[in-house]
Amino acid sequence: MIVVAGTGLVGTHAADQLRRRGHEVRSVSHNTVNEVDPVLTEVVLLAHAGDHVRTARRFLEAGCHVVSVSDDTKDVLALLDLHGEALAAGRTLIVGAACSPGLSGLLVSYLGAKFESFDEVHIAVHGTGGPECARQHHDVLSGTALGWHEDDWLRRPAGSGRELCWFPEPIGSRDCYRGDLADPLLVKHAFPHVARISARTSATRRDRLTARLPMLTPPRAGGDMGALRIEVRGVREGQRAVEVAGTAHPMAQIAGSVAASAAHELRRQAHFGTPIAPGVLALGDASLPNNDILDDIMQTGIRIQAFYGVH
Amino acid sequence: MKFIRRALLALSVAGAIAAALRVKGKGGVPPQQGGWRDIASPK
Repeated sequence: MIVVAGTGLVGTHAADQLRRRGHEVRSVSHNTVNEVDPVLTEVVLLAHAGDHVRTARRFLEAGCHVVSVSDDTKDVLALLDLHGEALAAGRTLIVGAACSPGLSGLLVSYLGAKFESFDEVHIAVHGTGGPECARQHHDVLSGTALGWHEDDWLRRPAGSGRELCWFPEPIGSRDCYRGDLADPLLVKHAFPHVARISARTSATRRDRLTARLPMLTPPRAGGDMGALRIEVRGVREGQRAVEVAGTAHPMAQIAGSVAASAAHELRRQAHFGTPIAPGVLALGDASLPNNDILDDIMQTGIRIQAFYGVH
Repeated sequence: MKFIRRALLALSVAGAIAAALRVKGKGGVPPQQGGWRDIASPK
């Protein structure tokens, strides 16, 4: 059985996707996840608001695989620290299985295969899933943004570093800024050789001006249209080259599909007797079947597009 | 008169902040040619 903890937009979409694939799914809320019997549970998908680390630890120790959609930097760092527990339990914890992070790592893996070697990854994301995701987006513009630059973490104020980024239609061009995003941490975890990693999120001037204040308007219950743009730079046939891929769909649909595909693949591989390596993994990690997961996401109707032409 | 002065001051402060936010950053260059195309399944 797969337990989906979280009954928001992302959790509901993920549970629907898993049921369509024939899995037995139990949806529980954040408050009742601790009442779930781990003995009957193979995979737990954490898609609720708030920190995931305590729940993840409990289920790992009880012998369950765990998929977390958390994109909060502190929570992601705490989840990465569960590697020892996951190894001891012989179970896998997939961290950041949403859009950004999540699909971003899969697209880095997909684009990276087009190079002899790649050393730069630049991520831009637009939109929010449910109301909790919108609150998170509001907060990421007021902290410290992490980036990886030539063997060191670069810390810059969130909301700085404006760059105009082109997303697939219908989103098109958006001003994007550095943010307190978990993507650089997880891309570095999955691709330790990469020399430069940056992550930006789209924002309006009002978003930036009010980032340090409480949210002035309540987030939309139905979520937003989202988009992701991944740029990978490297060497191909002896020359510098750039590859760009992205997607544009409702954000909760992207995040739910990625989370469901990761949970589906964990269970499928275990049933085929080829379990995924134990430990804490980020999507894109070489020990994950990244192409299978990406193909599965595309089967759910998520269109992945590549930019062809001159940048 | 006092109200008008305050309103003008508030507008100029807001304008200065907006200009600083707008100018800071390198902006971008639109793609010269090309566009987005669906990719085939990676499998």
